[in-house]
Amino acid sequence: MKINKGFKWFKLDNAAKIYPASHSRSWSNLFRLSATLYEEVDLKVLEQAVKNTIPRFPSMAAKLKQGLFWYYLQPVDEPPTILAEYSYPLAYMTKKELKNCAFRIIIYRNRIAVELFHSLTDGTGGLIFLKTLVAEYLELKHEIEIPCEFGVLSRKERPKHYETEDSFIKNAAPVKETRKDTNAWRIDGTPEPDAFLNITNFQMSSDKIWHLAHEKNVSVNTYLTAVLMKAILNLQLDLVHNPKKYKPVKVLVPINLRPIFNSKTLRNFALYTIPELDPRLGDYSLDEIIKIVHHKVGTYATQKNMSKMIQTNVADEQLLILRIVPLFIKNFVMKMVFNSVGEKKSCLSFSNLGQIRLPEIMRKYIKRIDFILGPQAQAPYNCSSYTYRDTLNVTFSRDIKEARLETYFFRELQKLGVEVTVQSNQR
Amino acid sequence: MYCANCGVKLADTEQRCPLCGTEAYHPDIERPEVDPLYPKDFVPKRELSKTTIHIILFTLFLIPIFICLYSDLYINRHMTWSPYVLFSLSIAYVIIIVPSWFKRPTPAVFVPLDFILVALFLQYINYATNGDWFLTLAFPLVGYLGIIVTAAAVLLYYLKKGHLYVVGGFFIALGLYMDIIELFLMVTFKVNFDGWSLYPMIPLVLLGLSMIAISISRNARAILARKLHF
Repeated sequence: MKINKGFKWFKLDNAAKIYPASHSRSWSNLFRLSATLYEEVDLKVLEQAVKNTIPRFPSMAAKLKQGLFWYYLQPVDEPPTILAEYSYPLAYMTKKELKNCAFRIIIYRNRIAVELFHSLTDGTGGLIFLKTLVAEYLELKHEIEIPCEFGVLSRKERPKHYETEDSFIKNAAPVKETRKDTNAWRIDGTPEPDAFLNITNFQMSSDKIWHLAHEKNVSVNTYLTAVLMKAILNLQLDLVHNPKKYKPVKVLVPINLRPIFNSKTLRNFALYTIPELDPRLGDYSLDEIIKIVHHKVGTYATQKNMSKMIQTNVADEQLLILRIVPLFIKNFVMKMVFNSVGEKKSCLSFSNLGQIRLPEIMRKYIKRIDFILGPQAQAPYNCSSYTYRDTLNVTFSRDIKEARLETYFFRELQKLGVEVTVQSNQR
Repeated sequence: MYCANCGVKLADTEQRCPLCGTEAYHPDIERPEVDPLYPKDFVPKRELSKTTIHIILFTLFLIPIFICLYSDLYINRHMTWSPYVLFSLSIAYVIIIVPSWFKRPTPAVFVPLDFILVALFLQYINYATNGDWFLTLAFPLVGYLGIIVTAAAVLLYYLKKGHLYVVGGFFIALGLYMDIIELFLMVTFKVNFDGWSLYPMIPLVLLGLSMIAISISRNARAILARKLHF
């Protein structure tokens, strides 16, 4: 049976264009969202739930096809096969897989996970997909009715056009922002020989962090970013002995643009800001870092400034000379540019989904939610965070053996009196 | 349970501390059995497609061929030495790479094919250098070696037992091959018999015979297994 008849294809949104071009074995550009239930997942019911859910997400339940000038997304014809879990998440997705279906649905005992290629959507869009899928599963399994709130979409409705729009183009300013930026310190380590991805998850009381953040009059996101930057700073001071070789500590903090521009798109719609510390200027106290992050995010994450940043990216894409160049040349050039500047601008990204809210009736069935980012192309780490119920989760993914940054991060939390439980997929 | 070294609280899934690697054990604390966060030892295969590997290898073989042909033509204005490179690399490609195109390459086809190609190459050298040694020396020597190597390879490939017999027999045949080399050298280049071939022949035959003796005697095999185990 063919699904998604109404939507034939979608142009990639502005942010999505870089991902297929820079896709490589070392950078798959995937992220994962999962929900762990209190009971074992029923495969048959989940298959039916997937079948019912994906027509609602034509731009997300899609495959990545190649045109002469650009890639484009085409809704999948059939629901994808549900896969078994590997020893680590976010395993490399080959070009062939992307052409067939650019997302995966994976089950492992009580857990339903979706792994999405970043061209399809961002974390916020992915979370809506996961919530809707799990809601459909629970409705089928337990014959309950879940209200369409907190990001659960109705499967009976047709997809809306504002959900599939490229909000970048709509919200670009007439002027550009400069892209000039310094390179960041690169965390090094011994690469895992078989591409194993180490996951380290810290769980802590969200109340405790909330109180600590509010003592300083900043958000939880700002506070955690500052703690993470302090950990990276200390790690650098311990590993690099020559102060002349110190490099800036920079963390890329994604900003969800939907609330800023009042958009309801399910495509990519996030930009970032990069708070920075320069260790050559001396050591920083946590309070100092909190101030730096707070003011940087505060001044950057405004509608005017973000639309300027959007224009910087959109202007390139709209250049006629770039548009008429065949895709394989574009890919080559984009890959070169990305490799030379792309991810040297930050040590890692710290993506916070914030408080994950679910309809009350769903919460009874869902024990935990997870959100994992794949590591960066040239830096071995990435980090994500979210709060579900009263637990704040910080998850590190890394493709090197040494868990140094995690240890330094834990030490910082320990100093603040935060009790942390650690869990991992270590071998 | 807390890590005894770094003090972090460990989830029940953790047998070791994920931060410092310290074993999570305390005689007084009983830990519940829980599922690990991810299944153990189920790692995706990292596959490079066979076609990609073949294209890469083919290109690697083509590069030196082109460099040699170009240099030869550029310097000498016609082909002088480059065909030797071309032939020898092509033979190396057929010997090393071509069998991997097939799922189950049989030695009964590929080993004789390799020797035929070597014989053709020698014939070319003989022709290009106006030599007179192909029919009386190169052809019989390559032919004999081709037969014994093919026989040994086919027997080793298809027989499930008695590999030591085959290897022993091969060494004896190789010993005799030394005499044949000397014989054909005498015929081709009219040199006198001085018996050099006996020096490699005797140890090769002895080695072959002792292998056969070992494969016959169970005791000898047992002693060797005991003495040489590693």
